[in-house]
Amino acid sequence: MSSEHIDEVSGISTTGHEWDGIRELNNPLPRWWVTTFYITIVWAIGYTIAYPAWPMLTSATRGVLGYSSRNHVKNELAAAEAAKAKYVAAVESKTVSEIAADDALREFAVAAGGAAFRVNCVQCHGSGAQGSKGFPNLNDDDWLWGGKAEQIQQTITHGIRFASDPDTRVSEMPAFGDIITADQIAQVSTYVASLSGLVRDARLIEPGANVFAENCAACHGENAKGNKELGAPDLTDAIWLYGPGETAIAAQVRAPKHGVMPAWIGRLGETKVKELAVYIHSLGGGE
Amino acid sequence: MHVLDKTVERLEAEAVNSTKTRQPLYAPRKKIFPKRASGSFRRFKWLVMAITLGIYYLTPWLRWDRGPFAPDQAVLLDLANRRFYFFFIEIWPQEFYYVAGLLMMAGIGLFLITSTVGRAWCGYTCPQTVWVDLFLVVERAMEGDRNARMKLDAGPWTARKLVLRATRHAIWLVIAAATGGAWIFYFADAPTLLREVFTGTAAPVAYITIAVLTATTYTFGGLMREQVCTYMCPWPRIQAAMLDENSLTVTYNDWRGEPRSRHAKRVQAAGQPVGDCVDCNACVAVCPMGIDIRYGQQLECITCALCIDACDGVMDKLGKKRGLISYATLSDYNANMAVATGGGSGAVKPSLVLTADGTFSDRLAHFHIRKIFRPRTFAYMGAWSAVGLALLYSLLARERLEVNVLHDRNPQFVTLSDGSIRNGYTVKLLNMVPEPRTIVVTMQGLQGAEMSVVGIDLPAARSFAIPVEPDRLKMLKVFVRQPANQVDDTAQTFKFRVEDMARFESDEYTATFNAPETAR
Amino acid sequence: MGLMDKHAIIEKNATLLLVGSLLVVTVGGIVEIAPLFYLDNTIEKVEGMRPYSPLELAGRNIYVREGCYLCHSQMIRPFRDEVERYGHYSLAAESMYDHPFQWGSKRTGPDLARVGDRYSNGWHVQHLAEPRSVVPESIMPSYAFLKDTPIEVKDFSTHLVANGRVGVPYTDDMIANANADLMIQADPNADTSGLEGRYPRAKVGDFDGNPQQVTEMDALVAYLQMLGTLVDFKTYDEAAGYR
Repeated sequence: MSSEHIDEVSGISTTGHEWDGIRELNNPLPRWWVTTFYITIVWAIGYTIAYPAWPMLTSATRGVLGYSSRNHVKNELAAAEAAKAKYVAAVESKTVSEIAADDALREFAVAAGGAAFRVNCVQCHGSGAQGSKGFPNLNDDDWLWGGKAEQIQQTITHGIRFASDPDTRVSEMPAFGDIITADQIAQVSTYVASLSGLVRDARLIEPGANVFAENCAACHGENAKGNKELGAPDLTDAIWLYGPGETAIAAQVRAPKHGVMPAWIGRLGETKVKELAVYIHSLGGGE
Repeated sequence: MHVLDKTVERLEAEAVNSTKTRQPLYAPRKKIFPKRASGSFRRFKWLVMAITLGIYYLTPWLRWDRGPFAPDQAVLLDLANRRFYFFFIEIWPQEFYYVAGLLMMAGIGLFLITSTVGRAWCGYTCPQTVWVDLFLVVERAMEGDRNARMKLDAGPWTARKLVLRATRHAIWLVIAAATGGAWIFYFADAPTLLREVFTGTAAPVAYITIAVLTATTYTFGGLMREQVCTYMCPWPRIQAAMLDENSLTVTYNDWRGEPRSRHAKRVQAAGQPVGDCVDCNACVAVCPMGIDIRYGQQLECITCALCIDACDGVMDKLGKKRGLISYATLSDYNANMAVATGGGSGAVKPSLVLTADGTFSDRLAHFHIRKIFRPRTFAYMGAWSAVGLALLYSLLARERLEVNVLHDRNPQFVTLSDGSIRNGYTVKLLNMVPEPRTIVVTMQGLQGAEMSVVGIDLPAARSFAIPVEPDRLKMLKVFVRQPANQVDDTAQTFKFRVEDMARFESDEYTATFNAPETAR
Repeated sequence: MGLMDKHAIIEKNATLLLVGSLLVVTVGGIVEIAPLFYLDNTIEKVEGMRPYSPLELAGRNIYVREGCYLCHSQMIRPFRDEVERYGHYSLAAESMYDHPFQWGSKRTGPDLARVGDRYSNGWHVQHLAEPRSVVPESIMPSYAFLKDTPIEVKDFSTHLVANGRVGVPYTDDMIANANADLMIQADPNADTSGLEGRYPRAKVGDFDGNPQQVTEMDALVAYLQMLGTLVDFKTYDEAAGYR
């Protein structure tokens, strides 16, 4: 049974109930709290008028401010483009060699290319562009498809062995496991290893030389220096994509792995690809 | 002794801010109307005010020629370029410890001052005191001295009152804006920024700073006044800990002032003892804090000594000796109180402090200048000087050419097609003088190795001459390459040495060259 | 206020409180949940969307089975940093045939909504087999066993039928060829014209480097390589899709 009751000690009325002689003070809510609460209600009403809020039968209210998160991101991207416009225009109008030659523009392109590299390329080429087995090290001066700035740009644009891009470049190292004997594979591997000084015994090297001349020189060149048009590696240098040593060379001869470099032009656009090319070229091995 | 009751007016003044009489926190401030005081301390305060305000407003306008490559403002905090200029000294951000040292000296200096002469900072030099004083000048100029202001305040809102009040607040706002304005001139070239501010072309932060400082100066100096000292500022609490029994502080000398009486002549004629205090309330009326110093030393008293001037003035009029309120130490005060109360805690008896012919007894203690020079003072002075000397030495001995080297961590090394090993480094050259100079970067150690610098089209070498702009840090990307047969360890150390031939300055950095196991 | 004083009535009567709560929740449900079942305008009009091919569906089942969604999201939100990193923000239409959707709730690893054609098949196989061999800091578990597990083909068409029942438009032709398509898509030597007719722009060929077998690795990589590649954004009317 509720009844009006004022507590003697505090002077505040109680809620009116009593449980076993225990009563509950009916303190008023703090004024600041109540005011804030009412403000939130008013705010909420205003918010639902301003922003998309109320579902109706087949659609929903759009809000008087016409806000849309998709439109918002479009404007933000446009603003970002506008802020970069001056530099981007310069990058678009010049070739990558010209960009690399202009100090200030190169600084911009290297920074932009570095940022794009860290998002798109590090997953295969490693965080420091050092690559790993099957993924080239972009810091060194050994290039399968050419290390000039324009050549790097071409590689990034259309990729290598990337099926979805019609202009991609393809090098087909045949699987010599089906073509020559296991002995011949062993011999030519020893010969190739000797070209960079990994093997020095002349008696071991000699048989492989003939196998090489018959099967490999067509793509890799008589002097084994490689062919950048065909994407055939230089076999005389100290850099091995699938690992140094006769065993690794033999494995690649027998059943070669063909790495795939995606074509980035569709995903990134020409400006970013140019910036990436300048960045890679600046890593120390650019030609 | 001729006591002139009628020449001394008794002022109606309440000590509204003394702890005993203060309003509870939830009641609004009771207004006070400090009366203009005159005397030697007032004159000293005007002097200090002129000097401090002068320094604050005028310093940004001083010029100092540093050559064509550096700004010509004497005192400048160039935040955008991260340099601090102070006359002939230039500080880079990594040398910020000078500021730390100066702050230490400021702190120790404050302890030193307070322990010797009381809350001199609060009463004479604190910006709050100085600006409140300045605002009171404006208030008095507009509305007159204490009685006139009280009358105007209590009166109805006439046109005259409106105009006077509006003018006063307007002038306050102008002073406050000028204060904000002066602040921003420390951060940019003053003449340029002044022009920009008035043509509306200054950076938003300049206007925002002026707005904030206008608001704070106006509020603290014009509206909040003594409440800043009593409620906001931490220094009163700290100052209280800095005082000891030998610190000079503004003291009402009960031992000669009590028992106080407004009707001294009458009381004396009745044969009752009477002290020097005639209860004129002059000390309360001039107090900018609105307290009564006769309650004793209190937190609210900023020891501005205006009550000393006021009371001395009244003593002069009455033909009595000055010093009823004076700078005294607690030990002297206690000694004199002991004399005045006959050793016990009984009432003060004027007869105990006066000799037969009415002059003060020889037994009374007086302040001697040598009391200032006690162990505590020497300790503070020692610490202050030590920090100061350390800063000075550091300033004179510092190098103006430095090199920092960051070894590429990823990848640590690169094997090139001929088998040689290459490491990349980011070399930062710091040219800390406002002139361009050519720095020669040489590598020492690392047999057979050579370096090349990105952006410099010369062939690899052991040494390069790099031009560096004045006051700038130049970042170079350097590749160091060593032939495979010269590599003797997976980690070899070598040095980058930088030199400025013209000035005999040099610096060195010991770097590491990494190579794979297989390279050896 | 009179009404405010009466709140004690609800506080003291449990049944009344229960009924009142039920009413409030019902209204909330009607307003918030019911529209989702009949509103069509939430799905944008796009060209290029097609149901999953059998191999891709098998891969998706493996994705769900292995719990990839626990660490990888598939929802590129309309924020500048996400769009710059992953590509165009995800459209509702792109997951309209996903039962259930794989939008995810956490990104321990990166978002996969547009991972299709971003890395080579070889990279995916190497990464799934041992993630740290390509990303040294990775904490992703290794899924090397997928390479050795052949696809179990009891009757894969049942999966298509099941999806059809909840609204995915698998044609009879697709269902009839389901088992064959499952194997053909990963076979570099087979005739894939029928498959490519039924599922335009499906990726064909050996995925896991082992052309002899169609393994679970083939299926998963086939699924990953088509994610986000279907919608033709050149013909998409962006303004119509603003929400």
